Amino acid sequence: MSTESLLQIKDLELCYGSSHVLHGVSLRVEQKPLGILGRNGMGKTSLCQAVIGMHPSSAGTIHFAGEDITTLPPEKRAQMGIAYVPQGRRVFRSLTVAEHLQIVAHKGSAWSIDRVYEIFPRLKERRHNLGDRLSGGEQQMLAIGRALLLNPRLIVLDEPTEGLAPAIVSEVIDLIKMISDEGIAVLLVEQNMHAALAAVQDVAIMVGGEVVETCTAEALERDAALQKRHLGLEPGQKD
Amino acid sequence: MTFFFIVTLNGLTLAALYFLAASGFSLIFGLMRIVNMAHGALLMLGGYVGYSVVDMTGSWSIGVIAGGLAAAAAGAIVQAGVLGWMQGDELRQTLASIAISIIMADLMLWYWGGITYQVELPEALSGGLRLPLLGVGYANIRLALIGFALVTGLALWIFIQKTRMGAIIRAGVDDQQMLRALGYPINRIFILVFALGGMLAGMAGVIAASALSIAPGTDLQFLLSSLVVVIVGGMGSVGGAALGALLVGLAEQYGLAYAPTYGVVFTFAIMVLVLAVRPQGLLGRAEQ
Amino acid sequence: MRYALIVIPLLLLPVLLNDFWLTQVMTRALILGIVALSLSFLAKYLGVVSFAQAAMAGAGGYTIAYFGPNSVNIGIELPFWISIPLALFLATAFGGLIGCVARRSRGIYAIMITLAIGIAFFYFTRQNYALFNGWTGFSGVRAPLIGGISLRAPVPLYFMSLLSAVVSMMLVSGFARSPMGLAIQAVRDAPGRVMALGISVSTPIIAAFAFSGLLAGTGGILNVWYQERISSFSVGFGPIIDILIIAVIGGLRYPSGAFIGAIVFVMLDTFAVDLVDRERFNTLIGTVLLLIVIFAPNGLQQLVMDGAAKLRRAKQPTN
Repeated sequence: MSTESLLQIKDLELCYGSSHVLHGVSLRVEQKPLGILGRNGMGKTSLCQAVIGMHPSSAGTIHFAGEDITTLPPEKRAQMGIAYVPQGRRVFRSLTVAEHLQIVAHKGSAWSIDRVYEIFPRLKERRHNLGDRLSGGEQQMLAIGRALLLNPRLIVLDEPTEGLAPAIVSEVIDLIKMISDEGIAVLLVEQNMHAALAAVQDVAIMVGGEVVETCTAEALERDAALQKRHLGLEPGQKD
Repeated sequence: MTFFFIVTLNGLTLAALYFLAASGFSLIFGLMRIVNMAHGALLMLGGYVGYSVVDMTGSWSIGVIAGGLAAAAAGAIVQAGVLGWMQGDELRQTLASIAISIIMADLMLWYWGGITYQVELPEALSGGLRLPLLGVGYANIRLALIGFALVTGLALWIFIQKTRMGAIIRAGVDDQQMLRALGYPINRIFILVFALGGMLAGMAGVIAASALSIAPGTDLQFLLSSLVVVIVGGMGSVGGAALGALLVGLAEQYGLAYAPTYGVVFTFAIMVLVLAVRPQGLLGRAEQ
Repeated sequence: MRYALIVIPLLLLPVLLNDFWLTQVMTRALILGIVALSLSFLAKYLGVVSFAQAAMAGAGGYTIAYFGPNSVNIGIELPFWISIPLALFLATAFGGLIGCVARRSRGIYAIMITLAIGIAFFYFTRQNYALFNGWTGFSGVRAPLIGGISLRAPVPLYFMSLLSAVVSMMLVSGFARSPMGLAIQAVRDAPGRVMALGISVSTPIIAAFAFSGLLAGTGGILNVWYQERISSFSVGFGPIIDILIIAVIGGLRYPSGAFIGAIVFVMLDTFAVDLVDRERFNTLIGTVLLLIVIFAPNGLQQLVMDGAAKLRRAKQPTN
């Protein structure tokens, strides 16, 4: 690799059984946060799962920090510094908030449980509550806090604003900016275009399992036709 | 009335034994969704090894530990060597564990023969006790059984609820994929839990071989009781195993005492009743 | 047409084989195959691997023994044209009952529950003397005499088993295409969707188990005639596992695989003495099962089909 990107995805293909959901996706993620936009069912979550290693890709390569991670299992990727904030939060329902953080925390890491509590005082208040006793916003904070404790170099967030109240959405946006300022690369998958544009600088648009457009957040914000073509609610998508 | 109390006490001691046997089965099922058909064989292996070690060393405690360790090692080998390679294919894992249980039972028959063994008890446990009020004698070991079950249950509960490893296991039960995405190699955790389940089974085997006896067929008897206990109590929870064991143990003893030729029907009726009302078991969580 | 290719040679076997091969190998394989078919039927069309098939077969077998001539003086002797339909009916009803108990459970839960039922039935037959004569069971059970010929004689029993096997196979494929058969498959594929249509899921599940009970009961009746005895050991863990092994060896997803599996099993059972110590048969069969599960999880039938497909491809000129 001559130009070293933190995450480099090349010609990625992915199938679920007989349905082909990613058709040769190529992407680079650098230090600048990148947003992936697209309507439902366009392959965004599949892309996340391929990056995390939860679903094997059928062709193509994924490089992380110069290393080929295409066939590595999720736990290896996590140890290398890829953290995942999944769609639907997926907090453990029978673990307390404190336990969530304890099982991920490592000694001597830049991120400690105290630091997470500092950012999310609400989590500290609710540290003895079980995962399924938290509100949606609290679960999202916990999912992000848990990811930070991995001391990651890249955080993959899949629809972090889904189902949250507007006030919490803007909190999450600020949080993503803060993560980015900490020097952690961000791959943000969103359906909520406005939230994504507020949080990231570059965007890629996915339609039908392909990246059809890459531009800056500003350019997309100005280009109503582009928004309407790929993200609007009107029909007109391929199959 | 005395008869009723004695039968109840018998039911409680049997329940204690069933709980010891079923706890490991339930633990493995809870985390890995594996119906470990080799559980009875692991229990029997523990019992036989315990017998041989007690015979050799004369120490009952060493025998219990040795039985537990032998079954733990066997369990770890089964998971690491066979079942781990079929992760996610529950039917295949179940079938493979059946094959392993057949092979294990046959090899044990080969080595230990078809004789019935009883592990020799230490002096403290070997006598009997005159029960107050009832005025009848009762074997110490049977009373000790209830103590063992309580201690094991409590230790298991503390391990699962209060330790970091327990939290990791609970997280694995909730969402394996997510636990992996947090950097935990699930396969190693599986092997560990299989070893733990094996250890519980092995120790239960030695205790069963002390309180009752052990012979070919013991594996099947405890596999059935473990199945019914977790079906009744709810899969994958320590409390469920305890409740299930209590119901099944009591039902079996009352059945045996009051309707000898239909004893097993009682056990079975409880299972059918629970399935009709709560298919996930009394303390089980509904599947999504 | 395909059936004819298989059945005609089978019709000629009595001329070619001696009594040992005909009875100990072929007849036994056919009987075990019918019982295993009842399992692969459930596995394929309902998606449930049942461990209660030995119990269903036992229901048929015990009925024949109880209502037929036996040497333990238990039961009432009825003419065979009453006892046979009665046995089939009870096996079917027992199958339906098991289905009713297990109807809300799927996957491994269904395995656990049917296994518990199977083993509980075994213990019940051991404990109960009034109906099942405890662990000794019934001996000296005689097959019916028709026109002075005993059905237990090698050739009649072989033909009877062959006829039953062919009829069973035809019943399975016919039933699978019937409206109820289609409902059963719909329940297997998407129980939620079936419920959303306002159709009860229970009825197809119970029907599938009942039909499976009919098949298992058929095998159970033949088995009692063949063995001339039935006891708790006929419905114990051994037979439960043997039936499973046969179905798995043949391939759980293939009804006809049950017969392939049965042949392999009977050959192993009969000739294991030459391979390993007779005493270690269980180690051998356990190892065979383990190897099949590891290397050919879809069974021999699939293996043969894959091999045939490969051969065909190899024959075709590559362009």
